[in-house]
Amino acid sequence: MFSYYLKIAWISILRHWGLSLLMVCAIALGIGAAMTTVTVNYLMSANPIPHKSEQLFYVQLDSWDVNDPFDHGKNPPDQMTYTDSTNLWKAQKAFRQSVNAQTFAVIEPNDPDLLPITADGRANTADFFAMFDVPFIYGSGWTEQADNNKELVVVINKETNDKIFAGKDSVGESLKIGGNLFKVVGVIDTWEPKPRFYDVTTGAFNKSADIFVPFSLIAEEKISRAGNTNCWKPNGDGLAAFLAGECIWTQFWVELKTEQDKKAYLTFLNAYVEEQKQYGRFLRPIDNRLSNVMQWLENQEVVADDAKMMMAMSFMFLVVCLLNTVGLLLAKFLGKAPEIGLRQALGASKATLFSQYMIESACIGLAGGILGLILAYLGLKGVESLYGDYMQGLASLDFPMTAFAIILSLVSTVLAGLYPTWRACNIAPAQQLKSQ
Amino acid sequence: MLIMKDINKIFQTGDIQTHALRDFNLTVNEGDFISITGPSGSGKTTFLNIAGLLETYSNGEFLLDGDDVGKLNDNGRSRMRNEKIGFIFQGFNLIPDLNLFDNVDVPLRYRGFNAKQRKLRIEENLERVGLASRMKHLPSQLSGGQQQRVAIARALATSPRFLLADEPTGNLDSEMANGVMSLLEEINQQGTTIIMVTHDGILAERAKRTIQVKDGRVSELEILATQAIA
Repeated sequence: MFSYYLKIAWISILRHWGLSLLMVCAIALGIGAAMTTVTVNYLMSANPIPHKSEQLFYVQLDSWDVNDPFDHGKNPPDQMTYTDSTNLWKAQKAFRQSVNAQTFAVIEPNDPDLLPITADGRANTADFFAMFDVPFIYGSGWTEQADNNKELVVVINKETNDKIFAGKDSVGESLKIGGNLFKVVGVIDTWEPKPRFYDVTTGAFNKSADIFVPFSLIAEEKISRAGNTNCWKPNGDGLAAFLAGECIWTQFWVELKTEQDKKAYLTFLNAYVEEQKQYGRFLRPIDNRLSNVMQWLENQEVVADDAKMMMAMSFMFLVVCLLNTVGLLLAKFLGKAPEIGLRQALGASKATLFSQYMIESACIGLAGGILGLILAYLGLKGVESLYGDYMQGLASLDFPMTAFAIILSLVSTVLAGLYPTWRACNIAPAQQLKSQ
Repeated sequence: MLIMKDINKIFQTGDIQTHALRDFNLTVNEGDFISITGPSGSGKTTFLNIAGLLETYSNGEFLLDGDDVGKLNDNGRSRMRNEKIGFIFQGFNLIPDLNLFDNVDVPLRYRGFNAKQRKLRIEENLERVGLASRMKHLPSQLSGGQQQRVAIARALATSPRFLLADEPTGNLDSEMANGVMSLLEEINQQGTTIIMVTHDGILAERAKRTIQVKDGRVSELEILATQAIA
């Protein structure tokens, strides 16, 4: 009977094409608006490293001013001081650990015909690449020994490799960065986790770095520091005083395999803070935190409130569209009352008729969903052109979102069709047959 | 066999009750051809709707082939309607969007016949009413008489035991009406029980039995002598 219902639905849609088109457009507008905002929210709140997000932890220590707590005392500082991050890194108490911070550099290509390039950089320790499963095309990351020895090594991304080395294997080549000659040890493939979880302080949806250099080079003034810096007490003059001060500008991540490892690491952190208290630091009560990737993204409110608000409003718009569809379906189905009466006389039960008209509703919903997807695609393109780089990679419909759009439109239309179909199925056949 | 015992049908509109049928009693035997006559509002159509399971009754007993209709749910009534009853209406009641083939196909779909069986029955019955060559036509492309023939083909497609006809010739000229009556007589001779509501006294006389309905009751029962002999 399903194919028969489809055939009848198709004939009915064609026969009342104007009304059907209105319904398809109403659903498409609602779905298009809803899917545009849902997609942005979905991609904003996506897990950027699902296979190990439960094992990666962002570390927070409360080293802030006792008289003026960070975030009004609700959260410890969102970054760490140089002193603490290097101390924790040196302790090597986690399975893997990485200090990282944003840097900025000018690259002078070896080819005299090429102009210098400004590059977004990241200063990090060796474990960064293995912890975050950074994909390599050529070579690999550097070793812990390179960190300790402050070696001038660099990992570049594919785009930079294409620009400077025309895409060839550049491992072993020299590259002049900030006036110093670095040795290329690895080239990474396109790697743009969204959100950029490892550093949300400078924009959770910004591009990944062009170059990666050892964190220890910052202290050696071989690379320039960039990104957000917050201090709660004045520092002395010079880099050494700044590094020794209470300014937060580094991010510290650890990889812990088990819940037991996590507990042990937290114990270690508490002991570390107790020790630091003896040096007159950490005057606030101990509030050390380990947040896994998704907890950290939530804590940092990566999905902005206005995006959530827009999504709620677009769903309300979908409801309005569906209410219109209810009215149109009601008009259509009640207009078919004589046919419904006749079908009942010829042996159709209420259940049979219910199935038939629900399938017709679903067909309209499917058409609305497909048109809605096109509108959502256009909507996302509009969002992308409005927000530029910020929305790069966020404004795209992937398979789960496409499937969700179709299911949403089908479910919405079937729900919208329930009342009109119920009314149609309860038409008294005798009255209709006589009135024809 | 169709048996109605003390059937009452009361329509309620606000505080007003209208008795459409009052203690209505009737037995229809296998192979009968009954015409129901009576003035407008006498309850003829209400009787036909109850007989066709299109309407429920307020009280009384209604047995159709031994089954108590009052105990059937919507599915059971639909199944019985589909299996045992065929309808012919004054306004033909064909679905305008479907061609003749698909119109006759409707009750067969609900019966659950397979494609081969349906095709055979559709062709057979359209052939029977002389419209096999026009099965791809839409109802709007046919005359009134032809449309009523299609309705008869549709009613016969499921091989019903009872054929209920409500003013089947009401929208036809006398020549076409005569043709439709002849077809009904032929169908009755082949064993189908027919109950026909009509205002036309001449056509009513062509039935084997004529029943007069007045004020919701059977007021007169007459078996036509000539047809009884036949």
